Amino acid sequence: MVKDSFFDANIIVFYADFSKNTKNDIMKKCYEYITNKNGRFILCYATMRELLNVASKRAIIHKEILRKIENNSHDLERSNFLAKRDVPFAKKLYEQHKNKNKEELSKQFTEDRKIFDIKIEQFIKTKVDEKVIPMEQINNELVNIIHDIINNRADCQILASVIQYQKGKELFLFVTADNQDFSLNPYEYLKDYFNINYSKDNFKFPELHNLIFK
Amino acid sequence: MVKKTRSELALAILEKLAEKPLSTQQVSESVESNWSTVNEVLEELKKEGKVKEIVSTDKIKIYQRITGDTYFEIPIAEDEKKKFRTLFFWILQEYKSRGTIPTKTHLAKATVSLIKRDNKELIDLPVVWYIYGMIPLMIADPAKDYQEEFNFEHKIKIKSLIKEYIDENGSMSSGQIQKKQHLEYNGEIYQLSDALFDSLNESKLNKDNILNLLNKLFIACPIDNDFPEIFGLMEKFVSIVNKLSVFSNLNDNRKEISATFDALWKFIATYKFYKSLIEQKRFLLNQELIFNLYIRSTLEVRRNCLEESLSNLYSIYLNKLDDREIEISPEVEKIREIMEGWTGED
Repeated sequence: MVKDSFFDANIIVFYADFSKNTKNDIMKKCYEYITNKNGRFILCYATMRELLNVASKRAIIHKEILRKIENNSHDLERSNFLAKRDVPFAKKLYEQHKNKNKEELSKQFTEDRKIFDIKIEQFIKTKVDEKVIPMEQINNELVNIIHDIINNRADCQILASVIQYQKGKELFLFVTADNQDFSLNPYEYLKDYFNINYSKDNFKFPELHNLIFK
Repeated sequence: MVKKTRSELALAILEKLAEKPLSTQQVSESVESNWSTVNEVLEELKKEGKVKEIVSTDKIKIYQRITGDTYFEIPIAEDEKKKFRTLFFWILQEYKSRGTIPTKTHLAKATVSLIKRDNKELIDLPVVWYIYGMIPLMIADPAKDYQEEFNFEHKIKIKSLIKEYIDENGSMSSGQIQKKQHLEYNGEIYQLSDALFDSLNESKLNKDNILNLLNKLFIACPIDNDFPEIFGLMEKFVSIVNKLSVFSNLNDNRKEISATFDALWKFIATYKFYKSLIEQKRFLLNQELIFNLYIRSTLEVRRNCLEESLSNLYSIYLNKLDDREIEISPEVEKIREIMEGWTGED
């Protein structure tokens, strides 16, 4: 029987960023996974919120590059707005475009964000079958337990939604392309941690489907 | 110490509150009168509409004087008010001598021009950026009966500057005068806002022109650590209109786009007001107090209105969204090559 897919945010980001020139294998896998839809697609509101944040972050990367083009002394590494993980991307983008006219470049950046956003919104509107666990229904106690193991609060909320939704249902797939908290060993560890420490709560984890390892 | 009469006490309280908002206890100490009497007088003044409570808890009440003569009731010294009123009087007098009555914009812009041109007695009079550009902090109202209240040393020079300004600008419309000022004082974001409002008012919307202006606004929009939502909400507006333009004719949603930009502009202008105010040293020293007492609530209301308007525009876009493929240009492909592997996670 085909299992349903519950998506982590990174899968959708990779899908939205995929284009015919993409060389990255994982992005290709994400694109194909979504394009060749099999089973029902499920998305939680925590993931949708994360996708909104990701879109804003992309705009900030672009804005910071434009600021550096306006003023070369603007330091991308010391930017108060860029996340640490985004700095190398911003620096590379700047290096490639530093001699361009800023208005022209800004138009290209806007076009990039437009396509990125539209792909995400098209995915949500046309491919997602069910949106589940509104933010206010996320079990904060569960989030806090997960937070003992996973640092990233957004990931904790997504996983809490996944576990809450799994309760009393056929096992579905938790589809991710995460190489940290939701990679194979940490996910197994997390399951064991719950089984040992919270056995009476009977938490059920979905089957991890990490496209990095497929 | 002679005991003050009720009206003397009320006057003393109003004078103290003209300097800055105070708690009942602080007023009581500053006018040297007991707490309960001061509390009663403050309640009376509140009923008369001369003061308002801006903080009211079980433990503390903070009162602000209502004068209605400065934007956001920001307190300025009485001498400064006299200077402003005298300038307003002379400007109105000059216009009237030419057989015209100026609009509020003419009066405000003429005052700003005087303050900016004269480097002697007017230099400290506060001017700020707000919705329609640079204005005097004191509200200019051509319908008011101003009088000459301040004895300027360089009265003749100031009056000649007024004549000069009206010779140059008197025949312009309010809109023209406003745009000219935005250009003169390099208010880039204001010039772009003027152009976008004009463009949104054209009988048939020119999509390329609108998207071009939005692009420039994205570049010109400040990104501020203390107010990240200024850039965040501007970006959201730019993004929605750009996406909407793919699936719909912008003309069909002109009303919603205009209303959202209007809400965005009021929000940004309130922020610009605050930032230009605290560029002036005396306000900078009390910036937190000024923000909390005078600006915060308006900024919050305007942000809420903007968010509602954005949400409405976004719903319109989502309704029009279909699954058509969007072509990716070679330039965007290059951007995407660099972004490969980016997840946007912290």
